[in-house]
Amino acid sequence: MRKPSNKSWQHWNIAVTGINARVESPGPGCAVARCIREHEQFGGRVIGLGYDVLDAGLYARDFCHSGYLLPYPSAGEDALLDRIIEIHQKEGLDVIIPCLDSEIQNFIRLQDRLSLMGIRMLIPERDQFQLRAKDHLSAFCKKAGVDVPETKCVTDPSFFEYCEEEGWPYPIIVKGIFYDAQIVYNAFDAKAAFSRLVGTWGYPALVQRVIRGDEFNVSAIGDGEGGMMGTVMMRKRGLTDKGKAWAGVTVVDDAVGGVVTKIMRALKWRGPLEVEMMKGLDGNVYLIEINPRFPAWIYLSHSVGRNLPIAVLKLLAGDTDITFAPPAPGTFFIRYAQELIVRLDEFESVFVGGAITSKEDKTAVA
Amino acid sequence: MDDNIVKATEEERLQERLSQLAISATGFLFDPQTGQSYTLNRTGVLALECLRRGSSIERAADCLCQEYDVTPEVALSSVEAFVLQLRRYL
Repeated sequence: MRKPSNKSWQHWNIAVTGINARVESPGPGCAVARCIREHEQFGGRVIGLGYDVLDAGLYARDFCHSGYLLPYPSAGEDALLDRIIEIHQKEGLDVIIPCLDSEIQNFIRLQDRLSLMGIRMLIPERDQFQLRAKDHLSAFCKKAGVDVPETKCVTDPSFFEYCEEEGWPYPIIVKGIFYDAQIVYNAFDAKAAFSRLVGTWGYPALVQRVIRGDEFNVSAIGDGEGGMMGTVMMRKRGLTDKGKAWAGVTVVDDAVGGVVTKIMRALKWRGPLEVEMMKGLDGNVYLIEINPRFPAWIYLSHSVGRNLPIAVLKLLAGDTDITFAPPAPGTFFIRYAQELIVRLDEFESVFVGGAITSKEDKTAVA
Repeated sequence: MDDNIVKATEEERLQERLSQLAISATGFLFDPQTGQSYTLNRTGVLALECLRRGSSIERAADCLCQEYDVTPEVALSSVEAFVLQLRRYL
C-alpha cells in the first residue's frame, strides 16, 4: 500500500483518458488536459492515456507531457490495472480523470485498488452510475420528478414496420444502449440504424420520441451528497453530423438549472458529469441523457472562470472552499481542426512501446 | 383563469425577458437564456430601449415619432408588429 503523496495539487501528476480528437466526435480528454495545463497555479504534469496510436493527445505536448496506450475497456479491469501499475511505476500518478463512458465501470471496480496505490479519482459509485444508464433513465426520471421523452427498448427490428400503429409515429430517435443515436424518418432507415447500433453496442436498442425545441447542456461536479458546484450551461449553436456541438455559447436558464439541481439531488452524483436536456416548445425541460464524465466542450469552463477539472483536483486535495466566477452568459466557443505534426520516432515510440515522453521531459520522469 | 390575469402574467414575463437581453449600441442583441443573437436597426433599438424601461407600446411609438419623421399610426403599427416578433422569439 502506498499513501497518497503529500504534494499539493499544483504539483500532482494527473492522468487523463479520452484523448482522441476526431473531428466529428472528439473525446473530452484533450480539453480536460488543456484546462489543467492552462491554469495559472498548476505546475505538475499531465499524462495522456489513449487507446489508439492515432489519439492526438498522445503527441500534443501543449496538453500532455507524456502519453501511454491503455488496453481497450473490453479487455476488462485486470488488464487495465496491470497497465496502470506499469504507468504508475514510471510516472508516480496522483490522480486519474476518466473521460470516456465505456471505461468508467472498470475504474469504479478498480477504485479501491488504485486508492491503495495512492491514486485518487472523483468518480461515482456503481449504483449511481447504473441509475443514469440509458435503459434505466426513464425510471429514474419518474422517481426524481423530471420529464423525459418517452423511451422504449427494442430488440426486434420488425417493430419499426408497425410502430406507427402502436403510437410511435416517425420521426423517432434510435439510440445505442451505451452511445450514439440517429433520428429516423421511416422504417427502412430505422431498421438500418437499429442494425448499425446493435452491431456496435449490443442489444437492446432504444427508441425515443423526438422533442422539438432547444438543446441545453450543463456540466458540473457532484459532491456525492446531492449537491453540485461550478455549473456551466451551454446552448449548442452548431452541430456536427453526429449531433455534437462544434459551436456553442454559455447561457443561463433558470428552468434548465432547476432540473439539473433536481437530478443531482436524486442521483447524489460524485464527480464530473454532463446533463443533456431539451427545452420543448411546450416550455417543459426534458432530460435526454446524463453523461458520467466531463464533456468535450469543457474548456469553456476555464474560459468563464469556472475551471471544473481544476475544481476536481482541489476537491481531491480536500479543499472544499472553492470559489467560482459568477455565471457568464455570452461566451462562445467554436471547435476547429488542425494538423498535429508527429515525427516518425514519436509514432514509433507509441506504436512499438505504447508510450511517449518528450525529450526535454525525460529527466522529469526518471 | 381570468383573461386579464393571463394577459398581465404574460406582460410581466415579457418585461422580465426584455430586461435580461444584452443590447449594444450597434443593435446587436444577445439573449442570455437561449444563446440566440439578433440584429436590430436603429428604430428597433429605440423601440426596444423604451419597452425595456417599462414604456407601453403607445409610448414607444411616441418616442419613434419624436425621433423620426413618421406618422403616429405608422409608428404604432410598427411597434405592435415588433412586439409580436419579440413575443415569438422570447
